[in-house]
Amino acid sequence: MKPAKSVVEIWLWGGPSQLETFDPKPNASRDYNGGLKAIPTNVPGMEIHEWWPELAKCADLYSVIRTMTHKHFGHESAAYLMQTGRMPGGGEVCPAIGAVISQAKKSEYKGDLPPYVILTAAKGRFSEVGFLGADAAPLVTGGQPNSPRFVVDGIVAPAGISHAASNVRFDMLAELDAWRPKEGSANAARAKEFDVAGVEARRIAEGDAAKVFDLSQESEETRNRYGRTNVGQSLLAARRLVEYGVPYVTFNHGGWDSHKRHFETMKKRSAETDQAVAAFLKDLKERGLLDSTIVWMGGEFGRTPKVGWDPPWNGGRNHFASCFSMLVAGGGFKGGCVVGKSDETASKPVERPVSPQDFLCSIYELCGIDPDGPLKNNKGKKLTVLPPQSEAGRLKEIYA
Amino acid sequence: METIATRRSFIGGATALAAWPGSALADKPAAKKPAAESTSKPAAKPESPFAAWETPDGMATDAVMARRLYLDLAGRIPTKEEAQEYVLGHKEGRRRALVERLLASDDFADYWAMRFCDILRVKSEFPINLWPNAVYVYHDRVRRFLKQNEPWDAFGRALLTSQGSDFRDAEVNFFRATDRRTPEGWAEATAQTFLGIPPADLDSATRERFARHFANVKVKTTREWKEEIVFVDGKDSRGELCDHLFGERRAEVADALVRRVRGWIFGLGRAKPPKAAGDPTLRVKDVIRRIVLSDEYARGSVKGGFPARRIDAEVLDDMFCTLSGAVRNYQSPAPEPFTFLPPKRKTVAIEDGSISNGFLTLFGRPARDTGLDNERGEDVTAKQRLYLFNSGKLNKQIASMILPGGKEIGGKLNPLISLKFPQRIEEFYWRILSRPPMQRELGVMLAEHKRRKGKTWDLYRDLIWCLVNSKEFLFRI
Repeated sequence: MKPAKSVVEIWLWGGPSQLETFDPKPNASRDYNGGLKAIPTNVPGMEIHEWWPELAKCADLYSVIRTMTHKHFGHESAAYLMQTGRMPGGGEVCPAIGAVISQAKKSEYKGDLPPYVILTAAKGRFSEVGFLGADAAPLVTGGQPNSPRFVVDGIVAPAGISHAASNVRFDMLAELDAWRPKEGSANAARAKEFDVAGVEARRIAEGDAAKVFDLSQESEETRNRYGRTNVGQSLLAARRLVEYGVPYVTFNHGGWDSHKRHFETMKKRSAETDQAVAAFLKDLKERGLLDSTIVWMGGEFGRTPKVGWDPPWNGGRNHFASCFSMLVAGGGFKGGCVVGKSDETASKPVERPVSPQDFLCSIYELCGIDPDGPLKNNKGKKLTVLPPQSEAGRLKEIYA
Repeated sequence: METIATRRSFIGGATALAAWPGSALADKPAAKKPAAESTSKPAAKPESPFAAWETPDGMATDAVMARRLYLDLAGRIPTKEEAQEYVLGHKEGRRRALVERLLASDDFADYWAMRFCDILRVKSEFPINLWPNAVYVYHDRVRRFLKQNEPWDAFGRALLTSQGSDFRDAEVNFFRATDRRTPEGWAEATAQTFLGIPPADLDSATRERFARHFANVKVKTTREWKEEIVFVDGKDSRGELCDHLFGERRAEVADALVRRVRGWIFGLGRAKPPKAAGDPTLRVKDVIRRIVLSDEYARGSVKGGFPARRIDAEVLDDMFCTLSGAVRNYQSPAPEPFTFLPPKRKTVAIEDGSISNGFLTLFGRPARDTGLDNERGEDVTAKQRLYLFNSGKLNKQIASMILPGGKEIGGKLNPLISLKFPQRIEEFYWRILSRPPMQRELGVMLAEHKRRKGKTWDLYRDLIWCLVNSKEFLFRI
């Protein structure tokens, strides 16, 4: 099988509840399920939570893992583990999966945009590139995809500077930027690095790359299908980035840390996310891109199965890493499958626990990257892509 | 339209040419008389294409020297007035005088505290987790060490033998500011901080030897939220470790300090190895003074071989904010309650490595995760240049640089308004590049002015855009 070309990560920062996504427990008590239900999907026998009706209509396109498990209950440590496959500590901050895959696929990618694009804000709180440094850094778009003009700072020219005016500036710059060190000196090498970066930057700014972010090129019907929300339009931008060939796209989708008033938050978040993700998967499928694109969605952990009804929580769920869910689709993953089985309250895995390493390892493998191979870097570090792990955990049952 | 007469009087007058004859060497005794100083009538000679940066004998010009010293010692560019004072003022002994003034300034303490806090991993969040209260007291302690020019070994001893609360006894944070709070972790932190040996290169004998002295160090929590007490449970032999480190291995410690300071001044990985340290000093200001008063430091960067260094992310942010009058907006949503820094706080002076933004990350601000020197990025990337070319935020700042402070300042008309073309051009050069324009540069601007039929607003905007997109701006040359 051909390795996947691109990966789209939909990162649900904060830790979405497993019970209100892909591991509903309609038969448990209200203290666990909040009195909410599961709904059937278009795949016989596969049920998901009632707040995801659009995804229920296309379950054949994705699979869910219900038994993700690890031991870190703090956001940063858990996110670090889910993103790098390593435990925090050891005097080293390792790159996240996005940085590793984009660096590995950089040479086969021909586009002008950086091979790693983040919509629209960085995760923050820990460095996604780790020790790889500035060269591996993602392009973080900023901006509002759902606004009339999605301004990607630096790539889309600021309002008020026409193309002609911009050319005049560059001509002036060529004359005025005249500090030119002696040929062959270390400074000349620095000056060259500056000039080469400038040529590349100008090509990005003036070429087709900037058009990728011009969502007005999509039909109204398509834009509405994804939902006229920043979530929907971010995923529409993600699809355009995949079409363009960007190897790794992350959409950082925050707001799932629902300690208090969990159900109100979750219902709103689920509705816009359900519409956007379902539209995204179907669109990829229709355009023939799903087979070459891995999509994965989830957060650093799940949430406590037992609801805290009393103040100050008022129906809240706290951090919970022992058992939580993930969605995977495309790029060599089969659709319509459920991996693992949790107990009657989604508190612990009963069958087939899946570690963060097992999970990441499978994505690497389907991307054609050997998880036991060297982690390419220019810092002289001798590390493997993932720490040694057993092959048994890989999600081979859902490899297509 | 400018007349020829105006142009001639401008070029001939004011400061445009007065600046170039002097060189950094002019400070030195007359023994080595620089060739440039004897040039009596510069206007008679064709201007060298490098006149702004280097004298014919390969030395830095006065303007370059002033900017260099402000950037290296104070982490900022000089104001127009400061630059002019150096370039046009009294020549005798001015380099030494400026060095002393800058070393005594608060800006020095802020900038060099940033450097030392990088290697000591001063940040409140993952993976170091010092917590904000501890960050502030620790940063303050590091800043005091620099401001007062405390010897590095005395400061080191204070850190390595500390006990007490992370909120009150700042030095104990040395033991907390590592993701491995074990005797081996502390041994590695000690070797990295004082001997400049990264954990990967540390020999096991040294690691074990150091770790033995930390065997009884313990950390416990208190009833105060996030307060921790570092204490010694049993015999405390950390003083003996200090005797070993700052006694027997004193030369190594001094060497590591000099190497580090040279790396910060000349550029990481680009500094030549230090000459044999004759008289090992363990005071940071003395190390810096020796470097910046050396002949090596006075060389030009065009042919003279003085290494250019990419401006630090924080310094660059401060440059944009100061030149444009823009306010900063640094805040941290974690931990609660949120932290909001005062808008006038310099970016260089931000205590906490966890408080950052996309700009700082883009330009290589270190995450302070490992404390290794190479965590700071000094590369120039396409993404950085995209920001400089096209960023909407920067373009707003550029527009503000045309008339910083607005049309009125304190109820009075901004004096810049009365400054017309081409004097205004000279003003921008002084403010942004700390020097007057060369004749050639003025020629480019006069031609542009004519081509644009005297419209100045766009011309000024485009000139400023060019200046902040030049190598001379992005590098300390």
